[in-house]
Amino acid sequence: MDRKMSPETRSALEKLADWFRARSIWMLHYCTGCGAVELPPSMTSRFDMERFGIGPMATPRQADVLLITGYLATKTLRRVIYTYEQMQTPKYVIGFGSCTINGGIYYDSYNVITRLDLYLPVDIYIAGCMPRPEAILTAFNKLREMIEKGEANGWKRYEENKEWYRANQLKALNGEVYVTR
Amino acid sequence: MNLKELISELKNKYRVLDEKFNDPNHTFVSIVPDQLHAALGELKSYGWKHLSTISCVDWIDDNEFELVYHLWNWDSRSQISLKTRISRSNPHFPTIMHIFPTAKYYERDIHEFFGVEFDGNSEMEPLFLEFWDDIPPMRKDFDPLKYSREKFGERDYKVPFADFIVEEGDQK
Ligand code: SF4
Repeated sequence: MDRKMSPETRSALEKLADWFRARSIWMLHYCTGCGAVELPPSMTSRFDMERFGIGPMATPRQADVLLITGYLATKTLRRVIYTYEQMQTPKYVIGFGSCTINGGIYYDSYNVITRLDLYLPVDIYIAGCMPRPEAILTAFNKLREMIEKGEANGWKRYEENKEWYRANQLKALNGEVYVTR
Repeated sequence: MNLKELISELKNKYRVLDEKFNDPNHTFVSIVPDQLHAALGELKSYGWKHLSTISCVDWIDDNEFELVYHLWNWDSRSQISLKTRISRSNPHFPTIMHIFPTAKYYERDIHEFFGVEFDGNSEMEPLFLEFWDDIPPMRKDFDPLKYSREKFGERDYKVPFADFIVEEGDQK
């Protein structure tokens, strides 16, 4: 898969829009993993994300970034896919912690995925089990840079390679993505 | 009634195969399967009214499953775990829902993760897993690593400092 698209395809207007987007990031944090405990200090006065224009958002439809804080069981992966697909473009995904990268301590679990990027287009990963708030802020600043340069193209990759992602999702979720239970 | 007296009473009435104190307030008692329901009912009438959980152990070499019923007494603050073994090849056991209604969910859980059927419990559909497609995952003959590799894949990566650590160890 082509991970990087040339940023020159952006029009001047899009460049301007990206400049604004990088300065106002609303984050939807999907806190099923233990690493989520590092978010409160990142958001509150000690590390204070808001000085970079990053704030928490309660609903997927109004969020820009989906932050996945750690391990995803197949059951939660399904809900994360629903959440991601509800978000409006442009949207970005951050994989937070070793569990999203290679499964972490759940590398041999019958029920926990090992690679988040097989199912959702991850723009940036934060390594560590669990990553400190400094690492989280570094990742967000890197993401801001990427947005501004037009490199955070995960959502476009997801649309272009929909079949590839869907096939992976179906494999992990045993043949059914949308369920009504 | 304290735990010691209770054990001797149980021994008089039932075929107790083994008993072992874990600590002064907690004991394990093994009993034959067809007397388990009577013993549970009797313990309940003595004050061991709270079924904390039911657990299951897969003794694959003996071809047996062991069901462990953990009962708690709020007055004497003591726990008794009744154990019984059933065959692993066709695992069936009568439900204890008529004695402890909460057993419904514990039995459903064991059915899902070990494949034990509880006769008389009407709700045996999966509780946690969605569209599970293999043998029950907590059985000892299930290989989680193999399953994970096949289903979820594996990331190919190199740990750059690993060789260095090995070399350091060799020098010592
Ligand atoms: S990477 Fe570590 S801290 Fe994060 S969810 Fe996994 S086990 Fe928990």
